[in-house]
Amino acid sequence: MSYTGEGPELHDTAPGEEEHEGVGGYVIGLGLATLLTAVSFFVAGTTLVWQPSIPVALVVLAIAQMGVHLVFFLHITTGPDNTNNVMALAFGVLIVLLVLGGSLWIMARMNANMAPMPPTMHMPR
Amino acid sequence: MLLGKLTWDAIPLNQPIPLVAAGVVGVVIVAVLIWVTVKGYVPYLWKEWITSVDHKRIGVMYCVLALVMLVRGFIDAIMMRSQQAIAFHAQGYLPPEHFNQIFSAHGTLMIFFVAMPFVIGLMNFAVPLQLGARDVAFPTLNSVGFWLTATGALLVNISLVVGEFARTGWLPFPPLSELKYSPGVGVDYYLWSLLISGVGTLVAGINLVTTVLKIHAPGMTYLRMPMFCWTTLASNLLIVAAFPVLTATLVMLTLDRYLGFHFFTNEAGGNMMMFMNLIWIWGHPEVYILILPCFGVYSEVVSTFSHKPLFGYRSMVMATMVICLLSFMVWLHHFFTMGAGADVNAVFGITSAIIAVPTGVKIFNWLFTMYGGRVTFSVPMLWAIAFMVTFVIGGMTGVLLAVPPADFLLHNSLFLVAHFHNVIIGGVLFGAFAGYEYWFPKAFGFKLHEGLGKASFWCWVVGFYVAWMPGYVLGLEGMTRRMQHYDVPEWRPWLIVAEGGAVIILAGIVLQVAQIFVSIRQRAALRDEIGDPWDGRSLEWATPSPPPAFNYAVLPTIEGEEPYWDIKQLARERLTLRDEPAYGDIEMPRNSPTGFVSAFFATFLGFAMIWHIWWLAGLAAFGAFATFVVFAWRDEDEYIIPADEVARIDRANRSARSAVLKRLAAMQVAQ
Repeated sequence: MSYTGEGPELHDTAPGEEEHEGVGGYVIGLGLATLLTAVSFFVAGTTLVWQPSIPVALVVLAIAQMGVHLVFFLHITTGPDNTNNVMALAFGVLIVLLVLGGSLWIMARMNANMAPMPPTMHMPR
Repeated sequence: MLLGKLTWDAIPLNQPIPLVAAGVVGVVIVAVLIWVTVKGYVPYLWKEWITSVDHKRIGVMYCVLALVMLVRGFIDAIMMRSQQAIAFHAQGYLPPEHFNQIFSAHGTLMIFFVAMPFVIGLMNFAVPLQLGARDVAFPTLNSVGFWLTATGALLVNISLVVGEFARTGWLPFPPLSELKYSPGVGVDYYLWSLLISGVGTLVAGINLVTTVLKIHAPGMTYLRMPMFCWTTLASNLLIVAAFPVLTATLVMLTLDRYLGFHFFTNEAGGNMMMFMNLIWIWGHPEVYILILPCFGVYSEVVSTFSHKPLFGYRSMVMATMVICLLSFMVWLHHFFTMGAGADVNAVFGITSAIIAVPTGVKIFNWLFTMYGGRVTFSVPMLWAIAFMVTFVIGGMTGVLLAVPPADFLLHNSLFLVAHFHNVIIGGVLFGAFAGYEYWFPKAFGFKLHEGLGKASFWCWVVGFYVAWMPGYVLGLEGMTRRMQHYDVPEWRPWLIVAEGGAVIILAGIVLQVAQIFVSIRQRAALRDEIGDPWDGRSLEWATPSPPPAFNYAVLPTIEGEEPYWDIKQLARERLTLRDEPAYGDIEMPRNSPTGFVSAFFATFLGFAMIWHIWWLAGLAAFGAFATFVVFAWRDEDEYIIPADEVARIDRANRSARSAVLKRLAAMQVAQ
C-alpha cells in the first residue's frame, strides 16, 4: 500500500518488513510449528504419561504454538517500532481472556444453578 | 436437483403485501436502471463510483446504502406499528408468520444495513481528511468491504420475493432457529447475508484501525487527532475484536443447520445458552461500535457550531478508550434472566452501571463546550442538542435496566424495546444525520437546504418521542415485545399514540427526501465556494468541496490540536493566504473492480448456499478466489497525477479563499 508524501513520521513499511531476514525465519517457524503439532498428536494418544496431565500438556503446547506463530510469522517483537503491534496483541489477549474467562464463569454458574432434573424428565444426552 | 430447494413455490404469489411491495421496488429499480442507461451514465458510474477505491466515494456509497435501507427498515417499522394499533381483539392485517418476518427484518436491516453502513460511511469519508492523509491504508480492501456489505443487504431484500426471511428476531436464538423448528430458508437468508457482510465489516474495521494508527500528515500525533478520529479508532478496535465472534457464532449455527452439528441444539449435549453468551459478547460491543463514531460526530459538531475548541479534549479521549474497554465487560446484562445466579448478575450489573460514567463525562464536556460559546443553531447542531436530551433519557433507563432485579421485571418488555430505540435513534441515528448534514457540503460542494432540514429535524424528534415514550408505559403495564395481537384494553391508546409518532417520523423522512431534491435543484445558491461552509476547525475544511482525489495538494504540517483553525486565524489577521507551496506529482491507487466482482460472486455464493444449489456455490466460491488471485498478481496499481494538474486544482481553491480574504479586507477598510 503506497503512501506518497514526505516527512520523517511516515512509514511505508509493515513492521518486520524492514528486517529482510529472508526465508530463514519462516523455515525455523515452520519446523517449530510442525514439531509442536506432531507432539500434540503424539501426546493425545500416548499412554506413556500420567493421563490427567495430557489436557494440561495440550494447553501448554497450544500456547507455545501461538507463540511460534506470533514470533516467526507475524513478527511480533519488542522493538521500538513495534509498539502498535504489541499494544494490539495486548488488547487481543485481554479481550480473549475476558471472553473465555467470562464465558466459562457464566456457563459454570448457570450449570450449577440448574434445578436437578427428575428422572422422568431425563433428556437423552 | 439443478436448483436445489428453489422452486416456483418460493415466490409468495398468494401473499399480496410482499408481492406488491416487491413489485413496486422492482419497478423502481428497473426504472432507475433504464434511466441510467438511456442517459448514458453507466460508464461514469462504473469508472467513478462502482470501481472507485477513493475513500470519499466509498464513504458516500456506504451512506447511500444506509439511507436506502433506512427507508426499507422504516416501512417495516410503520407496518408493525399499524398492526399493533389495530390488532386489539383481532388478527390485524398481518398474519403471524409475516409479522414475525417483519420484526426480524426490521431489526436486522436497521442495525446491520442502516446504522453500520452509515457510521462506517461517515468514518471512511471524514477520517482520512481529518488526519491530513491522501487515502486510507488499504484502498481496494475498503472497496471490497463496502461491496460485501451491499451483498448482505441485497440478500436480505431478495428474501422478500424469493422464499422468506427469518422469523426468529434480529438475533436468531436457538433452539427456535435450529433446523427442527425453523425448517425454511428464512434463517439461512439471515445467516448468509450476515456471514458475508460480516466479512465486509471486519475488513472495513481493519482498514480504519490501520489508517488511524499509521497514516497521518507530518506532526499529526495521537493527541492532536480530532475527536472523531479517536472515536473511529475505538469503534474499529471493537469491530476487529468483536466481529469475528459474531461470524464464529453464526458459523456454528450454520454448521448445526447444514451439517447436523449440535452446538446449540436441545439434543446431543448442545447448549443453546452458549449462543446467547457468544452472540452478546459481540452484541454489546456492537452498540458501542455504533455509538462511539456518533459521539465523535457530536464532538466535531458541538465544537464547530459553538465556535470554541472542544472542552476537555483529553478527558474525552480517556472516556472514549475507557468505554472501548468496558464495553467488553458488560455483555451478560442482556441475559440476566438466564439464571447464572446473583454473583454473576451483580458483577455485570455493576460494570453496566459503571460504563455510564465515561458517557456522562462526555455529555458534560459537550455542555461545557457550548457554555460561553456563540452557538449557531444550524441543522447539525440541532441534531446534537436533541441527542444530548434524548440520549440522557435513554441512558437513564439503561442504568435502570442494568439493575438485575429491575431487569427481571422488564426483560423482553416494551420498556426494553423503548430503551434501545431511545439510545439507537436518539444516539446513533441522530448522530448519523448530524454527520450527514455536516459533511454533505464537503462531499458534494453544496449545502443541504436549511429550512427543510429543520422541518425534517422537528418531525423526527417529535415523532420519536410520540412513538417511543408510550413504549416505556406499555412495558411497565406488562406488554412484551413482538406481539402480533393482544387483548389488554389499557395498551390500546398507547399503541395508537405510537402509531401517530411513526406517522410523524414518516413526514420527517419525506421532508428529508424533499430536502435532497430541493438542494440539488438550488445547488447554485447553496454552493460552498471555498470548502469551509461552517467556519470549521479541523483539517477537512482546508480542502476544496468536494475534495480532489488526492485530498491535499501538499500534505499539511500539523503543529497543534486545531491546525486548520490556526491557519485560518493567521490568514484573517494578515488578510492573505500563505505562500503558494511547491507542487509535486502525486501517486494515487488505481480504481479496481475487485470489490464489485468479488461481491458479485459472493451474492451468488450466498444465494446458492441458502437454496442448497451446491454446483453454483462451488462455482461462485471459485470465482471469488479467482478475483483475489487476479488482484494479487496485478502489475500496475498506481497512477500519477502530474504536478500541473495538482497546481491547477489547488490554485482554483486558493483564489476562492483569497477572494473571501479580499472581501474581509475591504470591509475593514470601509469601517
